[in-house]
Amino acid sequence: MTPAKSLLAADPRTRARNRAEARFRALGLGAVLLGLGALVLLVGTILANGAGAFRQTYLTIPVTLDADRLDPAGTRDPADMAAVTTFGYAPLLAQALQQHLRQRGVAMEGIGPRDLMAIISQEAPAQIRAMVLQNPDLLDRTLELEMLAGGRIDGYFKGRVTLQSAERDANVSPAQLVLAQAMADAGMIETRFNWAFLTGSDASGQRPEAAGLGVAILGSLYMMLVVLVLALPIGVAAAVYLEEFAPKNRLTDVIEVNISNLAAVPSIVFGILGLAIFINFAGLPQSAPVVGGLVLTLMTLPTIIIATRAALRAVPPSIRAAALGLGASKMQSVFHHVLPLAAPGILTGTIIGLAQALGETAPLLLIGMVAFVRDFPAAPPEGLFDPASALPVQVYNWTQRADPAFVERAAGATLVLLGLLVTMNLIAVMLRRRFERRW
Amino acid sequence: MNVMQQVEAAVTQTAPKISAKAVDVFYGDTHAIKAVDVEIADKMVTAFIGPSGCGKSTFLRCLNRMNDTIDSARVTGRIDLDGEDIYAPRVDPVQLRAKVGMVFQKPNPFPKSIYDNVAYGPRIHGLARDKSDLDAIVEKSLRRAALWEEVKDRLTAPGTGLSGGQQQRLCIARAIATGPEVLLMDEPCSALDPIATAQVEQLIDELRSRFCVVIVTHSMAQASRVSQKTAFFHLGELVEFDDTDRIFTNPGDHRTESYITGRIG
Repeated sequence: MTPAKSLLAADPRTRARNRAEARFRALGLGAVLLGLGALVLLVGTILANGAGAFRQTYLTIPVTLDADRLDPAGTRDPADMAAVTTFGYAPLLAQALQQHLRQRGVAMEGIGPRDLMAIISQEAPAQIRAMVLQNPDLLDRTLELEMLAGGRIDGYFKGRVTLQSAERDANVSPAQLVLAQAMADAGMIETRFNWAFLTGSDASGQRPEAAGLGVAILGSLYMMLVVLVLALPIGVAAAVYLEEFAPKNRLTDVIEVNISNLAAVPSIVFGILGLAIFINFAGLPQSAPVVGGLVLTLMTLPTIIIATRAALRAVPPSIRAAALGLGASKMQSVFHHVLPLAAPGILTGTIIGLAQALGETAPLLLIGMVAFVRDFPAAPPEGLFDPASALPVQVYNWTQRADPAFVERAAGATLVLLGLLVTMNLIAVMLRRRFERRW
Repeated sequence: MNVMQQVEAAVTQTAPKISAKAVDVFYGDTHAIKAVDVEIADKMVTAFIGPSGCGKSTFLRCLNRMNDTIDSARVTGRIDLDGEDIYAPRVDPVQLRAKVGMVFQKPNPFPKSIYDNVAYGPRIHGLARDKSDLDAIVEKSLRRAALWEEVKDRLTAPGTGLSGGQQQRLCIARAIATGPEVLLMDEPCSALDPIATAQVEQLIDELRSRFCVVIVTHSMAQASRVSQKTAFFHLGELVEFDDTDRIFTNPGDHRTESYITGRIG
């Protein structure tokens, strides 16, 4: 007996449905692959551009710190010695380099004293001057000093500058590169990991090789501190009140809608608000991490409130009933039972809010965090009022500078920022795994 | 009428533990409880039975003012505990709930250790002077809840790791630990298997000697097994309230009879 409809042959409807499903799967897979591809391309580009920022070229030569030139008054008093500016130190270095090259028998064909000096970073005289002013006893001694190589020379050792590109470059000649190569062969120049990129402060447009992220990292850190200290307690308190204590009426509905809307307000609006309230009205200093932190707090609050309310709502009502049934007050039931159970969700929301704040640029531009800041802010709490920069703003800043070496620095700074964000998100995931309880 | 029932009848004639007069409960516009009068005696088990939605749980929750936590609920009438109006403005529900403990339908231990579950009530009410005092309260409560032998070696284990029946007995121990006078139980066995149910029922029978127990159940067999008095609720009204034996053998109202024989509900 044959069945009226065989199971072995698919009917047209089934085939059409299966085709539709296959199409949908292919589309979904395609979308995922496209996204992954874009991500790989993005991270790959940044890595290719920015990896160089973490390595730096240094040259080491013996320098005689001639007392007659560096301390013409002969008092060994740093106050008098400060009369000699960095321009007084530069010829000293040029001379030392020339002398050393001659001694080592490195050929210097077609290189004038100015070209020779360009091999050393403009940062080097300032570095030596600071060293001497700090310790006048070094005068008249000959020291093996390590200094930054010029930006183009650094670029040559990282492959950014080539002999071909040097011919079209007003800032460097092929002869200089040949000399640099000869110096490297003689062991005078080496390229190694660049701690100064993470710890140093920003440098002017002519000295990309000296620019570091220290002030920006510290500024971002200070702002995160302000955001954490303000946004977490305020946000959690607001969410707990709204979720557990407030009556459900029209007013709380309006507040709830407004909080959700605030989360979607463009961040630059918060910048304008911060400028108007914290700087113009309250008179707080510009470029200060405290103002940045306050603005970012305003921005982060809705995120934390929404995340906390969601976490509180996820705690089963039976836990509240159990506590109340035992004669716990409302507050005891919230603080002893509900809040601990909601903590993983709250922490995750907070860290995600912080990560968002860490990457925010637009509001900081409006409150003056975009300024060129060389001096490190002091330790908190006073340091919160000192001018500082911030990581995303530093990226923005460097991408605007002319020297291509700053492109490398900007990409490197982006890597640091991405690294911090990934770390924060990992911590969020770990906290959630660690504290998640089942009931 | 046997001797036990005579004694119980005598007790009832003295002052009731809880007395409710003309209690109405509204959820918004819904009239959930209609003019209920009931007197609940101490040291015995009173069962509330009735079909789903008849208001028996709602009425139970009036007795420790758990309905206060629902914004739309409104309670009128008077409920006295030992002659004191529990809805008087001066009464703090927190104090009331320490006196009137509650066990819920689904076991709801805190996600803490067994010890901390039982110790929570005494801690917030300041019932223990020191650690050894607290230890004693925890042990006594767990013993009374017939759970001590099963958990004494793992007091630090999470309460949520116990079986359903053990969790429910833990919740009973937790309720006992605050030293209540009345124990309200809202369908305490509905989430348990028959064996755990039997254990909890036996426990309820033992608790009767110390507490005034009020239990809501929709198992008529359970009501007849554990209770001495039974109240039958239907559509928000208290239809009949009498000795359990009488309700199940010779009900006075035809609705009670219909429910017990399975024609309604």
